[in-house]
Amino acid sequence: MGILRLSHVEVRVPDLELCTAYYTEVLGLLEVEREPERVYLKCWDEYDHHSVVLRYAPRYGLEHMSYRVEHDADLEELERAVELAGVPVKRVSAGEELGQGEAVRFETPSGHLMELVHRVEKVGNLLPKTNPPPEPQGLVGIHPPRIDHVFLTVEDVDETTRFFAETLGFRLTERLVARDGHLLGSWMERSHSPHDIAFITGPNGGLHHFAFWLDDWNEVRRAADTLAYHGVKIDVGPTRHGVTRGYTIYFFDPVGNRNEVFTGGYWVDPDHEPVTWTEDEMGRAIFYYEGGLNPRFLTVHS
Amino acid sequence: MGILRLSHVEVRVPDLDLAAAYYTKVLGLLEVRREPDRAYLKCWDERDHHSVVLRYHPRQGLEHMSFKVEEERDLEEFERTLEGYGCIVRRLSDGEELGQGEAIRFETPSGHEMELVHRLDRIGSVLPKTNPPPEPIGLPGIHPPRMDHLLVTAEEVGDAARFYMDVLGFRLTEQLISGDGHQIGVWMERSHTPHDLAIVSGPNGGLHHFAFWLDDWDEVRRAADILAYNGVQIDVGPTRHGITRGNTVYFFDPLGNRNEVFTGGYRPDPDFEPITWTEDQIGRAIFYYEAELNERFLTVHS
Repeated sequence: MGILRLSHVEVRVPDLELCTAYYTEVLGLLEVEREPERVYLKCWDEYDHHSVVLRYAPRYGLEHMSYRVEHDADLEELERAVELAGVPVKRVSAGEELGQGEAVRFETPSGHLMELVHRVEKVGNLLPKTNPPPEPQGLVGIHPPRIDHVFLTVEDVDETTRFFAETLGFRLTERLVARDGHLLGSWMERSHSPHDIAFITGPNGGLHHFAFWLDDWNEVRRAADTLAYHGVKIDVGPTRHGVTRGYTIYFFDPVGNRNEVFTGGYWVDPDHEPVTWTEDEMGRAIFYYEGGLNPRFLTVHS
Repeated sequence: MGILRLSHVEVRVPDLDLAAAYYTKVLGLLEVRREPDRAYLKCWDERDHHSVVLRYHPRQGLEHMSFKVEEERDLEEFERTLEGYGCIVRRLSDGEELGQGEAIRFETPSGHEMELVHRLDRIGSVLPKTNPPPEPIGLPGIHPPRMDHLLVTAEEVGDAARFYMDVLGFRLTEQLISGDGHQIGVWMERSHTPHDLAIVSGPNGGLHHFAFWLDDWDEVRRAADILAYNGVQIDVGPTRHGITRGNTVYFFDPLGNRNEVFTGGYRPDPDFEPITWTEDQIGRAIFYYEAELNERFLTVHS
């Protein structure tokens, strides 16, 4: 019941050809379908039609994020909850977005366009359903098995966290608290992992990054090799987060959207008591090995 | 709603001191409490009171397995469903089992004693809740962060699987089908992992193994070093499963109960289409690198 996991992100890119080349050849996603202004991509182990949509737009950034709900009935229930919170909801009919059934869309108080969907066209992963090898061979680039989470900038982290908890049922796993007690950052989950969505102080509507799952730390190292080989600008890493305990590299796509590869974390029960980070330990919270932030982390977003 | 994950296993051991020494020093679990005929153990990242109970008994094997349900009222619902199915359900009152609230117990058609519980004493992980390091330093042995799953044996795998799926809500992720079309192994989940509970052909009431989670393949290698150093009999591994895609080492506790350390896998949605393995590929299904079973895998259980 309720939200299950991140389904896809639709990302604005001023150069669709360049970005398609990067996301398919360096990140190693698969191109599922192409329209004049959009390219639909998925990771190799995902069954659904797409997890990343690149959309031509003059300015980069997040067009919308979409979460998958467990049952069809959840759409109506969450639609009601969102409307009750005073937020107008738009119904998206089946097929209006390629590869998807009915969905609902609304703008969160933090100015992000959010979609909830249940039925998604299953195109299957790359493996057979009988006697499958554990992974395909010969994929190019980093080829993560799946998308993991998004991280957004918001002006009021407290208010946004409340909306996502009370209206959408997200559960707080970790928080970064300023000296005066207000939230600088919050990490929230639905999938029993450390985060499916997270927020950091910044402008409303901003995208800090979206992240792909890798299976282990050695894959993170290999991803750094792949990025460096292709001359991709690495922002930070390979390193480790204090928050989430995850291993990470941050880097930028060719038009300035930040990507992450991520692994690790921990299992989260629904009654998990959140972890608190204090502002004086912010460096370790974000980059555990370095113990400090680079200035880009707080200032660069899309 | 429903079953969340494995909560604990209670394992019979003919030598409590020897077993407690092995599980705390080689596996690196923490001893939470000791009674004359039982030792309560947990992994370092678990917050609940215990995940392994060693119980003195002349013969090794599984005393019971306990799964955690998401909400208190799930207990009543399951009690009703189980009684409707014809199971005799016993209520355990708050505190009757150390460190636990109310629970229900019943015998499954495969002859396994099973418990469902919601409330557990929260004794906390060994990390603080404010500015925690990602892991503690200086723990002995393998020290897995948490328990993962168990594999039991049943005479009629198909019947056993139907019970866990139809009555308890487990979802099938993978199955091993014999030449004549019946199930000789099933893997089922509740926690969006490849398995929380699995069943292979064998005597009713049998335990094939219970498994601890490790964070990555390098930790699996390190576990093999620790097992070898301590003279523990390694059954198979380090290697990889075709089924679940997991990386693994199987080994035996000093009394003959099989243990596993496990990592990897994938994230099945609740509507995941199960994977089928055919008997002619049983070698690759179980041990992907070796592509054959050792004799012990099918014949030795406790």
